[in-house]
Amino acid sequence: MDTDKLIERLAADAAPVRRLRPPGRRLALWLALSVPYVALVAYVHGLVVDMPSLGADPRFVIEAAAASATAIAAGYAAFSTLVPGRSRAVVWLPLIPLSVWLVSIGKGCIDDWVRLGAAGLTVKIDWICIPPMAWVGIVPVIAMVVMLRRGAPLMPRVTLAFGGLAIGALANSGLQLFHLGDISIMVLVWHFGSTVLLSAVAGWLGPGIFRWNIAPRSSGA
Amino acid sequence: MTEHCDKLADLGALMRAAQDGDKAAYCKLLRQVTPILRQAVRQRRHFLQPQDIEDLVQDILLSLHAVRATYDPARPFLPWLMAIARNRVADGGRRHLRRAAHEVAVEEYPETFDYDATNHIGEGYGDPQALRQAIEKLPQGQRQAIEMLKLRELSLNEAAAVSGMSVGALKVAVHRAIKTLRVALHAES
Repeated sequence: MDTDKLIERLAADAAPVRRLRPPGRRLALWLALSVPYVALVAYVHGLVVDMPSLGADPRFVIEAAAASATAIAAGYAAFSTLVPGRSRAVVWLPLIPLSVWLVSIGKGCIDDWVRLGAAGLTVKIDWICIPPMAWVGIVPVIAMVVMLRRGAPLMPRVTLAFGGLAIGALANSGLQLFHLGDISIMVLVWHFGSTVLLSAVAGWLGPGIFRWNIAPRSSGA
Repeated sequence: MTEHCDKLADLGALMRAAQDGDKAAYCKLLRQVTPILRQAVRQRRHFLQPQDIEDLVQDILLSLHAVRATYDPARPFLPWLMAIARNRVADGGRRHLRRAAHEVAVEEYPETFDYDATNHIGEGYGDPQALRQAIEKLPQGQRQAIEMLKLRELSLNEAAAVSGMSVGALKVAVHRAIKTLRVALHAES
């Protein structure tokens, strides 16, 4: 098809479009939809009884803050990668809180090992973690999927991997309010591990489900 | 320099108008960015043929159209455009590699299939020397008809005009000649 004809066809098809909001505002919208829901699920399940004492525990505070910051940074990175021309350096941003989160859990594992010996590093199959995680993730997943559909699929793997990471990290933040892991190795494997797994699967599926939606060149020619 | 900056600002303004549904502004914008895109593609893929470069330019225009809602008028236009262009050129390269991995480039396509039965084209004509000799031995009318209609490929009307024979007589002569030749060549082989 001749390029001039293509331009004429595209111009004829130029209906008004609703501009995509900046990534920060889209992140705020996602959080505004997801956080109240996560808080509601935590409330319905029943908050952890000794919340005041946990609030005084620096490791709990650091872990909760790092998980929340990971959710925010990963969400921002996911929305930024949908906008052409934005700096790609933003993709490194989530790695900072993610590292803090991982180090904090790792420190907990060492403390448990010192305190309990080998029993402090025993991984048990804990299916009981799965239903609350699934419940707490429902609205964040739906909101993220709907919002990620608007944008340019410049880096589909990265976009969806960060979307998955944001959902997993937010779900973990909520989970800490009503479902504490007994020892850190369980938190590492089941909570942190499921977040990383979700991110990896989403990233792997990225190119298959998130493509350029362009019209065939020959149509209307 | 000022003119260049004005032009870039114009592109942003045209895109903003296009997002609001201004078809004329959009057409103008696409016409202005097409040479920029063509040059950018040529720089990145200088080994491509002109038609392949044009294919990539069209891909970029279609992609731009699909994601025109992502342009933020508060930000510069060209980085937005070039990010799309880079992405589509890279996608084009990946497509090319995938295709190259599954295809075998050949200078000329084979004219026949591999099967033996399809590989006897040369032999189908038999011995040209024997055919020539058999034609020479034909009666004059039949030989003349064969020469005009089969060797010189004249039409029946043309052959009739040249030889003075009627069309019907020519048909009969050719038919008999072919029959005679077939018998002669089979007997020889």
